[in-house]
Amino acid sequence: MIAENNSGGRAKGTGATIIRYRGVVKRYGAFTALDGVFLNVHAGEVVCLIGPSGSGKSTLLRCTNGLESIEGGDIEFEGTMLPRDERALRAVRQRMGMVFQSFELFPHLTAQQNVSEGPRTVLQMNQADANQRAAALLDKVGLADKAPNYPSALSGGQQQRVAIARALAMNPDVMLFDEPTSALDPETIGEVLSVMKKLADEGMTMVVVTHEMSFARRVGDWVAVFDAGRIVEQGPPRQIFDAPTTERTRDFLSHLGWSG
Amino acid sequence: MTLDWGVVWQNRDALIKGTATTILLTFATMAIALPCGAVVAVLRLYAWKPIRGLATAYVEFFRNLPLILVVYWAFYVLPILTGFGVSPLLTGLAALALNVTAYNAETFRAGINSIRRGQVEAAMALGMSRVQALRRVVIPQALRRILPVLASTWVSLFKDTSLVSVIAVTELAYVSMQVRAQTFRVLEMLTAMAIIYWLLGYPQAKLVDWIQRRYAVTE
Repeated sequence: MIAENNSGGRAKGTGATIIRYRGVVKRYGAFTALDGVFLNVHAGEVVCLIGPSGSGKSTLLRCTNGLESIEGGDIEFEGTMLPRDERALRAVRQRMGMVFQSFELFPHLTAQQNVSEGPRTVLQMNQADANQRAAALLDKVGLADKAPNYPSALSGGQQQRVAIARALAMNPDVMLFDEPTSALDPETIGEVLSVMKKLADEGMTMVVVTHEMSFARRVGDWVAVFDAGRIVEQGPPRQIFDAPTTERTRDFLSHLGWSG
Repeated sequence: MTLDWGVVWQNRDALIKGTATTILLTFATMAIALPCGAVVAVLRLYAWKPIRGLATAYVEFFRNLPLILVVYWAFYVLPILTGFGVSPLLTGLAALALNVTAYNAETFRAGINSIRRGQVEAAMALGMSRVQALRRVVIPQALRRILPVLASTWVSLFKDTSLVSVIAVTELAYVSMQVRAQTFRVLEMLTAMAIIYWLLGYPQAKLVDWIQRRYAVTE
């Protein structure tokens, strides 16, 4: 349904630019992980980052909320350069939800406590309000009945849905997904993707690093193809998957057996 | 050879007092060594580099010296350092605390290091500061993991308190040896001492086993 919006250029691109990457460079010693990345993320858009492993997609995501620092270029979030100092960075992180490949739920807390932890500790919300918010969000991801369970008693797909609820609990302006389904059993991938689809339908701005091409195609508004630390092609999914303009994109998609 | 078990009963008051001192020493040592060990561990992990080096030197120094040597050392050196005589009990306590603090510091450090980096990142992605991440996410998990180790240290400490008998701290071992020396009832007193240590130590060891089962980490 959303894919239909993309028949033309950037359908949702009318929203304000929320994240602007300008020539972002990231190095690990002699290795250049990001080699001048330019990309805009507009309000309400789902931007999918695809490409081979080690091409820099996850690194870009981790630079977005300052988990990694950058060596060159700049990242603008809601009109302001990403700060370098920890305190200011914390304020920015509160407005970006992040979902990790390996879930990273807090194992010593129940599902409910995992979700209320951010509001409690960071927003200083009182226990009752935080619990209420957690309950509502667990319900939203379809796990209301799992509130008292510890992560070890949940399936991978359930854990990742709790992780999504945990990130949403901070009421973020943007959600960053770092290969959210890569660590999941095939049968639980769908439940996570459908929660993400629901979020997208509600107008959440999302940056998604993914190997799920059908998700990028169906839900993505904009797709950026990474290779060796650069974006080799970006455009609406229809262009990327049906009429890729670069050799690298065609190579990558054919390796995946994508028959656009 | 005739055995006279009456000697144990006749000296029951001294033995009870000695046992009380042994228990007191164990609790007091841990009461010092737990918070101090945590502080040393945090210094070793996060402090300014020279401080980190000092903390490491402290741990490696005391972890690799025989406890009995530290006890003697404290007995002769503490009065010089402090300028006044320190009671044997306090001296023994200091020696035990120095030793166990080093062990606990290592335990805490290993516990904190065992929590994978992604946990801190997840906390920080929510907007937590490093200190909040440590307090709310890392330390609660680390504590669970190290509880069995701390419990084992506790049981070792309970037995190792006997070493401070060499500087005349009137704990269980010292008292038993005193009675032995006065009455020449060697076998009776050693047996009594063994039974008391064992009766007190065995439940502790069982408790450790239970803790290890109870807090086994599931992720």
